[in-house]
Amino acid sequence: MEYVLEIENVSKFFHGLVAIDDLTIKVKPAQIYGIIGPNGAGKTTLFNCVTGIYTPEQGTVKYKGEDITGMAPHKIAQRGVLRTFQNIRLFKEMSVAENIIAGCHTKSKQKWYHSIVHTSAYKKDEMKHWKKVEELMEFFGLSQYADTPAGDLSYGNQRKIEMARALAADPEILILDEPAAGLNENETIELTNIILKIKEMGLGIMMIEHDMDMVMKLTDYITVINFGKEISQGLPSFVQGDPRVIEAYIGTDDEEDE
Amino acid sequence: MDTKNTSIATLFIVVMALFPFVVDSAWLSIGITFLVFAVVAFSQDIILGRAGIFNMGHAIFFGMGAYTTAILNVHFGLEIVATIPFAILVPVVFSILLAGPIIHLRGDYLLVATIGFNIIFEQVLSNDIFGLTGGPNGIFGIDVVRVFGYELWSDIAIYYIAFGLLIITLFVIRNLDTSKYGRALYYINKDEIAAKSMGINISYYKLFAFALGAAIAGAAGSVFAIQYSAVSPESFNFMQSVMFFAIVLVGGSASLPGILIGTFVMFVLPELFTEFKESRYLIFGAAMVLTMILRPNGVWPAKFGNIPKFLKKKVVNKSEEK
Repeated sequence: MEYVLEIENVSKFFHGLVAIDDLTIKVKPAQIYGIIGPNGAGKTTLFNCVTGIYTPEQGTVKYKGEDITGMAPHKIAQRGVLRTFQNIRLFKEMSVAENIIAGCHTKSKQKWYHSIVHTSAYKKDEMKHWKKVEELMEFFGLSQYADTPAGDLSYGNQRKIEMARALAADPEILILDEPAAGLNENETIELTNIILKIKEMGLGIMMIEHDMDMVMKLTDYITVINFGKEISQGLPSFVQGDPRVIEAYIGTDDEEDE
Repeated sequence: MDTKNTSIATLFIVVMALFPFVVDSAWLSIGITFLVFAVVAFSQDIILGRAGIFNMGHAIFFGMGAYTTAILNVHFGLEIVATIPFAILVPVVFSILLAGPIIHLRGDYLLVATIGFNIIFEQVLSNDIFGLTGGPNGIFGIDVVRVFGYELWSDIAIYYIAFGLLIITLFVIRNLDTSKYGRALYYINKDEIAAKSMGINISYYKLFAFALGAAIAGAAGSVFAIQYSAVSPESFNFMQSVMFFAIVLVGGSASLPGILIGTFVMFVLPELFTEFKESRYLIFGAAMVLTMILRPNGVWPAKFGNIPKFLKKKVVNKSEEK
């Protein structure tokens, strides 16, 4: 299997307007694939097409060779395509550990009657996944916050919880929507290292990111999108010098500066 | 559960267990009503408080349990004890049949649909369908409970049947809250998109919440029928559903003490002030308004953090180091 995720000629329209136009992106295992482009370029829409939130009008999305185009989001997640969100979607009132074990949902073999009577099979299953949560909290340095409500933590820690939750599902592709948004410099460096470690585990990672230092440091391959269309793709060093990319960015530089 | 909560729970159970020995018969029947309605409120709390489904027709499942016991006993001569499994199963089947087609609806739309179901249900009961439901007057002359040749006719016996059901309900809810299914309901309630993206099949778990809630409400309905030896449509009308809905929101969604307080305020307080009894909806209305303004998460909001002890230990150690 050469590619873990294959997006082929995918287009998505909203009320006749093109949101993404004929995009083709192929992600390999243990590869960090960057999607960059000005605001409103259609990056998040692309992610939503992959994860089943939207159904693309044209093209196919394949995961490990299986066509997952138009599948319900939970079915796509069950197969091993997990994501984080640009605007952080945690279960804020619930504790950090409870948030992370949400990712174990697809791996847990508990049946409906285990919610009424706790059998020994239940206990085994439950303990196995809490142990996994323990490991993930250690990996992300979140152990001390196990029973703190997720919403009470800093932005940086919330990003980590989201990632830990996604990893709990043993994904083979991890989709990160602006993981560094809202983070300070130290948090960004920490997160960069974490993402590299995740890559070493053999996962394919597809990420949207505006922080160019981070993109250049992390990604193995990049596609640049503007107005839903691919304007460039290649290695980071190539994309960085591509005049079409520079043009697209200079044209919107005012909006990008915050 | 920390020690403070455990001691509150133990105290509550001891008080409720001894209650029949210190009160007169009028209070005993209020006690039974409290227990039965608390069970129904807990079952609604699974659907509304945990899964976050705006079910405004919960009296349907309560009523189905009560009518199943009444019909099977009065028309078919089944022993009361033998009717209980049916009183649980019938509401479960109907909850799936009724909720199935509307489960994907957004909160407010689903709420209107469930009101519609409740109105139809009351009409079905009042119109003596198939000559079984007895029309507007309902069904009278339900038998006493017979177990191993003993007739459990006294209010004290019925009190302990209701008390037993409440204990079972609390046991089930505790198990639910510490299981994959129970957590999935919370995730759906807090953020559907995040839940979906974690691989949770929203409709399936919402239907599960309905079925489990209906099962418990049906069992409570059976006890209700035993208590009054009669059932009639107005006990299961839309207004009753509003009551159960309000108990959960006023008491505190997914909060065990909250639901008990809510049930107490809605069903027991009016009995305490007999002069108020005629206008108990006054208390009910005022309590709803005030709670929603002053404590939008309920009188006793739920606390999360249902995690194993070995994960919490680290928290303690870390803070000691500092």
